[in-house]
Amino acid sequence: MLTYDVLIVGSGGAGLYAALKSRMEEDLHVAVLTKVYPTRSHTGAAQGGVNAALANKDRTDTWEDHWFDTVKGSDYLADQDAAELMCREAPQVIREMEHWGCPFDRTKEGKIAQRPFGGASKIRACYAADKIGHVMLHTLYEQGLRHGVNYFNEWQTLSLLHDGQRCLGVNALDIRSGKLHTIQAKAVILATGGYGRIFWTRTSNAYGNTGDGAALAYRAGLALKDMEFVQFHPTGLRRTGILMTEGARGEGGYLLNALGERFMSNYAPEKMELGPRDLVSRAIETEVREGRGGSDGEVFLDITHLGKERIAKRLPQIRQLCIDFEGVDPVLEPIPIKPTAHYSMGGIHTDFNGLTPIEGIYAAGEAGCVSVHGANRLGGNSLLDILVFGRRAGVHALEYARHTEFKPMPKEALAPAETCIKALTDGDSKETIADIRKDMGDLMAEKAGIYRDAAGLTQAVAGLVELKARYKRLKIKDKSNIFNTELGAALELGNMLDLAQVIAQGALERAESRGAHYREDFTKRDDKEWLKHTLATRNSDETPKLHFEPVTITRFQPEARTY
Amino acid sequence: MTEKITPIREKMLANIRIQRFTPGDDRSSYFDNFKVQVETGMTVLEVLRHIKNTQDSTLTFRAFCRSAICGSCTVRVNANSVLACSTQLLPIIKDFGKASVTITPMANLPVIRDLVVDIDPVIEKLAKMHPYLMENRERIPETLEQESLMSKKELKQFDSLTDCILCGACFSACSTVKVDETYAGPLTIAKAYRFSIDPRDSFRGMRIQASMDQGLWSCVQCRKCLKVCPKDIRPADSIRQMRRIAIDDGIHDTAGSRRAKAYTDDVEKFGQVNKPMLPVVVNGTKGWTAIEAGEAALEKHGLAPTRQVCTLPGQEGAAKIYAKVREIEKKEKAREQQ
Repeated sequence: MLTYDVLIVGSGGAGLYAALKSRMEEDLHVAVLTKVYPTRSHTGAAQGGVNAALANKDRTDTWEDHWFDTVKGSDYLADQDAAELMCREAPQVIREMEHWGCPFDRTKEGKIAQRPFGGASKIRACYAADKIGHVMLHTLYEQGLRHGVNYFNEWQTLSLLHDGQRCLGVNALDIRSGKLHTIQAKAVILATGGYGRIFWTRTSNAYGNTGDGAALAYRAGLALKDMEFVQFHPTGLRRTGILMTEGARGEGGYLLNALGERFMSNYAPEKMELGPRDLVSRAIETEVREGRGGSDGEVFLDITHLGKERIAKRLPQIRQLCIDFEGVDPVLEPIPIKPTAHYSMGGIHTDFNGLTPIEGIYAAGEAGCVSVHGANRLGGNSLLDILVFGRRAGVHALEYARHTEFKPMPKEALAPAETCIKALTDGDSKETIADIRKDMGDLMAEKAGIYRDAAGLTQAVAGLVELKARYKRLKIKDKSNIFNTELGAALELGNMLDLAQVIAQGALERAESRGAHYREDFTKRDDKEWLKHTLATRNSDETPKLHFEPVTITRFQPEARTY
Repeated sequence: MTEKITPIREKMLANIRIQRFTPGDDRSSYFDNFKVQVETGMTVLEVLRHIKNTQDSTLTFRAFCRSAICGSCTVRVNANSVLACSTQLLPIIKDFGKASVTITPMANLPVIRDLVVDIDPVIEKLAKMHPYLMENRERIPETLEQESLMSKKELKQFDSLTDCILCGACFSACSTVKVDETYAGPLTIAKAYRFSIDPRDSFRGMRIQASMDQGLWSCVQCRKCLKVCPKDIRPADSIRQMRRIAIDDGIHDTAGSRRAKAYTDDVEKFGQVNKPMLPVVVNGTKGWTAIEAGEAALEKHGLAPTRQVCTLPGQEGAAKIYAKVREIEKKEKAREQQ
């Protein structure tokens, strides 16, 4: 049996930082399990920046300003002590990344450069051109190679093992050989990222952002927190959901419906296209619902009037993205766009160190939820979250593993994984992954997406039960053990269906609108009733059971969120 | 005035020819043909996914971010190494007027299944290059209370090289890897070079050694890597620069550095390379064997061998160019010192 002191599941920023921290003194055996190769992880797709009150650009910036912006951005659902800790530690983690060689852009004085970001009161986002996530991910991977972190590339984790009090390890599938393994570990850190793919094609997320870690934890009896909060970005490309940054609208791009009308004049006559993200997303959704969208449910981002020269000069990358991924040259015709699920605020319920109620089991990054993002994440805080809390989880797990002995692994530990795989290969119906997945995406986008109400969410809850029943009848056609991607996709689909239920149930019960969660039947924020976290555990009949916990408020009393 | 938007969307029925192989089930690779309605906007990756979803769920390929930043989905389309996710299919099909396209796995790496290759050889070669910053303590503070400063100019030296996504397209296209599987490949040398010129680093010497151990001088500068790189990091340029810093650091005792030196010295002196004597300059006394063998072969064909450099019309021009180059170099050095 494979045995590691600290085992990290997931190889994005949070996972690699945790791995590096727990391996830093090179005394423990540390391994990273990843269903891809580490540098493929979705952290690499982050373009804009990472917040830290370094005050390199604006000398008046302090971590307290950052703290307030974070809490306000969260629509007061973030735990203020957690947000405080993140903002306080931000400058240190950024400098640590820099000392490891992360190539941040520079100011004239040679310091780390910073740029303004939406929702921030000061210039605070550290950046590296448009590739900050990419360079951070590679820096962490490189330092991991240096310090002897083991990487299990293309291994899919199937179950999380514990005895009710303490972590035992995981079961995982070696994708390349098709072999199942139990891996023993004193500590397991789940850092598998978000679950935007629940909306299937309507997401900016990678194919693999299927919430695997959260689903593993949920099935292992741990609680998920605030799962109903999913941030939508208004402008993703029609076919793929790839983001078109706000820059295009900032340069003077128009949003047009299929009739060619600049519809934002009906929703935000003053700010027009530059209204807040959630408002623009809802405006687009309304146009499409009322039949003024294109044949594929899209509207159009038109920059043709800017002219070829200005586009080439100011928006060259956007133009290239449109040509490469949509086959449309924005110089000649409007860009078809749709709102796209962008970030999962919710995740595995943890404390400040990423620790769950079970000793030795941790979660960090988008997979976890300490609650620093609350109901809506501030731009530039997602990369910060993975650094601060990946690091904390790594440091804590290191200390824990140093002072703990391995617990014996029960003989039948692998059995649940074997059963799970067998069920997928032994199904009896004509159901296919592609059909169920598409139906799930459509259902979630329509009933539990940008607009929500009791009737729709009730249908979503019922629809998901049905989809799960269909999933149980699924039969995988690919019988090979070697690199069976159909099996991988089936496992991911199972994870997404579990999480979708939690999202829909949470959204149904939360009878208010807050941050990214918008209820047409309860359009106002309701602090009296709903200033609390949703926690979901799994009933024996596989439905979610919800309970609520208070939000920690230390300094900032809730007030209206206006920008 | 508003006008209804009618997007330009073309459609074309195409034959997608894909190389298949499942170990255990197939004795060797073969090609499968799939008919797909290809439309404006469809990428190669979308077509692969469409086939997997609707025609054959066993079709195996890698893909993750589908936005050209993760580097998972490298394949060859009509023999060109590309990222499947950022390659539009319709223009390719129309270009050849045949409504057919061939998709094969990356070259120079063993196939695991269908379009999936084993990229571990690339990662292992990369790992040998010390591909990480080793702190130069004169530049990087011991505590996290301070930043290490770096000028914009210093960053610019290597910034574009940090765009590399390790997709392996250059490795797949590399002429040297094709004939020498011990060769490091373009991306790993580019990575080694990126850290070697980072002013915050202290491990340049070890990296130069590591890249020489893995064939730094074997690259033939065919520049195919330059053509296929989706991030335009120009690995062939990095390889040349890596050789330059090796020589700058005083490494004159390898065949490669001697050859490079012989070229520049000869051209400066004679206006051309002294080709007949090159084997001896590069390989020492062992080179005589090659020269003698060459001469014997020429004699066999009734040709008279020579060890003299022939004179070419206008060869004195080279010396003039060199004189000019030396002059500029001198001026630049003086300016840098100011």
